[in-house]
Amino acid sequence: MSNNRYKKLASYISKEERNRRKREVIISVVIIAVIALLTFAENRIMHFGAGIPVSNTILMFILININLLLLILLIFLVFRNLVKLLYDRKRKVMGAKLRTKLVVAFITLSLLPTIVLFFFSINFITTSIEFWFNVPVEQALENSLRVGRSLYWHAEETSSFFMERMSYQIEAKKLLDPKNKKALFRYIQIVQREFNLNAVEIYTANADRLTFALAPGLEDKPFAVISSDDLKKNIPLNSVRTVSERISSGELIRTIGTIPFGVAPPAAEAFVALANLMPPDLAENMASISRGYEEYQQIKLLKKPIQITYYITLSIVALLVVFCAVWFGFYLAKTITIPIRELAEGTRKVAEGDLSFSIEMVADDEIGSLVNSFNKMTKDLRIGRDQLELSARLLRDQNVEIEKRRQYMEIVLKNVSAGVITLDAGGFISTMNKSAEKMLNLKSEDIIKKSYKKILSGEMLDLAEEVMEQLKTSRNDAVRLPLKLAIDGRPMSFLMHINALKDDMGQHMGIVMVFDDLTELEKAQRMAAWREVARRIAHEVKNPLTPISLSAQRLKRKYSDQINQPVFDECTQTITDHVELIRNLVDEFSLFARFPTANPKPCNLPPIIEETLALYKEGHKKINFNFNITEDIPRLNLDRQQIKQAMINLVDNAIGSIRNEGNILIILTHDPILKIVRLEVADDGVGISDIDKTRLFEPYFSTKKAGMGLGLTIVSSIITDHNGMIRVQDNKPKGAKFVIDLPV
Amino acid sequence: MSRKTLALLLVILFFVQSSGFAQDARLTDIIVTNTQDELLVYLSVEGAFKEKMKKAILSGVLTRFSFFVSLYQVRTLWFDKKITDVMVTNTVKYDNLKEEFTIKRSWEKNGPRVLRSFDEAKKLITEIDGLEIVSLEQLEKNQRYQLRAKAELSKVTLPYYLHYVLFFVSLWDFETDWYTIDFTY
Repeated sequence: MSNNRYKKLASYISKEERNRRKREVIISVVIIAVIALLTFAENRIMHFGAGIPVSNTILMFILININLLLLILLIFLVFRNLVKLLYDRKRKVMGAKLRTKLVVAFITLSLLPTIVLFFFSINFITTSIEFWFNVPVEQALENSLRVGRSLYWHAEETSSFFMERMSYQIEAKKLLDPKNKKALFRYIQIVQREFNLNAVEIYTANADRLTFALAPGLEDKPFAVISSDDLKKNIPLNSVRTVSERISSGELIRTIGTIPFGVAPPAAEAFVALANLMPPDLAENMASISRGYEEYQQIKLLKKPIQITYYITLSIVALLVVFCAVWFGFYLAKTITIPIRELAEGTRKVAEGDLSFSIEMVADDEIGSLVNSFNKMTKDLRIGRDQLELSARLLRDQNVEIEKRRQYMEIVLKNVSAGVITLDAGGFISTMNKSAEKMLNLKSEDIIKKSYKKILSGEMLDLAEEVMEQLKTSRNDAVRLPLKLAIDGRPMSFLMHINALKDDMGQHMGIVMVFDDLTELEKAQRMAAWREVARRIAHEVKNPLTPISLSAQRLKRKYSDQINQPVFDECTQTITDHVELIRNLVDEFSLFARFPTANPKPCNLPPIIEETLALYKEGHKKINFNFNITEDIPRLNLDRQQIKQAMINLVDNAIGSIRNEGNILIILTHDPILKIVRLEVADDGVGISDIDKTRLFEPYFSTKKAGMGLGLTIVSSIITDHNGMIRVQDNKPKGAKFVIDLPV
Repeated sequence: MSRKTLALLLVILFFVQSSGFAQDARLTDIIVTNTQDELLVYLSVEGAFKEKMKKAILSGVLTRFSFFVSLYQVRTLWFDKKITDVMVTNTVKYDNLKEEFTIKRSWEKNGPRVLRSFDEAKKLITEIDGLEIVSLEQLEKNQRYQLRAKAELSKVTLPYYLHYVLFFVSLWDFETDWYTIDFTY
């Protein structure tokens, strides 16, 4: 279980962590290798004295190793940083120049005192050492040593002198003879006492001690024998040899000589040794003089090495200081340049639009607060941008919504049958819908963004100004007025609704005009009204006509003979005639009023037209009749009789407008797209004024002196019954043109 | 880059060390001979005594020469077999007061020798005369042997523990290479 958990944990270790561990292992291995190498190197370089304990040696090794490692680490760090800096400078990395300046400044600042101190110290040490060795210690020591030496030398000389005498006496008195052994002993005892020697010894040629005499102080202690080596080997010719030995009561100085005196040891018959005991304190003093001299000599020998060691130590310390300064310079530069670099990088990123960038907190100093401010700025910017984006999105959505609504409104406006024109506050036309275009036969692009004052002129402009005034004074900002216009010579009747637009604040925003085309409606209403009038007139007028006519005829018949006066006959005849005239008139009205509804059947239109023209061609030689027809005229649903009546009326009307001679052109065309057949009847007669055009198709409107003015009314009625349309236009260059559209 | 620098530094350190302090001391007159029972070695060190060293000895520094002598039986297909390994020392100490050199030779049965002449003392401490290294019984007839010898001066003890301070400075130390002599018994 726990094993599993461990595995799980291990798998969580990130790649970075693994790399770090790997690096640590590598560093450890390198450090161990370096330690081993250093130990080996130190072992080769140094040989510690035998007198130093092992623990001290190990401690030294450890300390030196640690020092060296630290030094190497420092050097490594410094060099690494230097190389990095050079590389950065080459690559022109941000902050490299500042870092270089800082490092150079730091090195300069630290180098100057270090160098001064270094050379001062070197000089100081040199002078000090020179001073120590210049003090006349050496001379004093040498003198002391010389005194000591002379002491020994003097003892030897004295002993030598005594020995020479003794040798002579012993030889002369033959004291070496075994028979004179007692005499020899007595002699040396005397010599010992007389010459105040500490010991006198006699050795045979074989280095056996023959006899000896000791001073009272030495008698109770064992007295060692001189080795045969000392006796036999090392005595120079004509001289003596001195050996010294430490004993408990001082230093025993034994001077050895030969008997006879001055011969080579092999030639000696015997050896004599005279001993002087140097008191312990004197011996100790002598030894210390010797030791002091030796130590002084040794130190003098070490003068140069000590100097060198001091120099080396100083150099190492100086280097350490320099490296430390360099490293510290790098460190300081880093603490300054890294945040600056990061700030620059951050600024760049922010400029590029990456507002998610934030700099890690580096310190709690001014740079830290700068970094803080930067982070706060980016955060604020980010929040601001987010809000802006949100509002932009909302705005976009709203725009889409508005656009949708606008399109909807446009479609609605486009599709309403009423014409809509809007003007802005300045009186410039801002919109115009399709129906308005169609009704007014205008193109919106021609008038949009133009002031109504420029578009309109004359009466219309006056009317417009009047409407504007009315709008200003009106209570509900609305004006309603009927308007009659001739559009391209076509009379049109509109009902205008003009509303002033105001916003919530009551500010004037413009004007909307909505107008309905009432032309057809009015026409129909008028027609119905006229039919009603006609029917009534026919009905009311026709009835009294017969009694009037009969009464007149009766008067004529009964009283003609009695009143034989021509005036009577004339009057009755006039009554009868005019009654007849009125009857005709009433008949015509009656015909109009009781005009039967059309009964359309499929038939061809051109023959009807030709038939009609044939009626007039004979009677009007001065008028030139032309009939143009395209070939593709389809069969139409027509009431042949009524259409013929309409054609007769139209042609009659055209002939009437021509005074003497002229042309009548009839054109028949088919428009397959609109699915209509168009019949145009044009003349070059007097033409029709714009005011007349509006009332042209009304009953009892005529420009002619004779006639009831019902001709064109009937035509219009017939065409309407055929679901067609009739309109009047000016014929170019002169005259009028009636255009009839019949559905196919 | 930096690893290379480190390696270079170490190499320079070694080079300076080995070239700067090397002395051309060498072993000469190596003679291997025998008595009836023992194998004897004679040898002497040359070029060991510099002026500095003489000064040091005369200023009373105890100076010790160590001699390492090993005897191997030469084997063709295997490592040579070590028969014996001998280390002997000669020490010299000068007494300024009595102007005497006291010489101790660890391999001599007699006590220390006292001499007044520096040259004699020098001769005594740089020479090994008739050092018995192995008993002839230990050697096999018609076998090839190799004698390896080396001398070194290392045990210089400075006063006041100066060797702690002066561990950079190796004044008189020297170490000869290993010298070999092949012979067939």
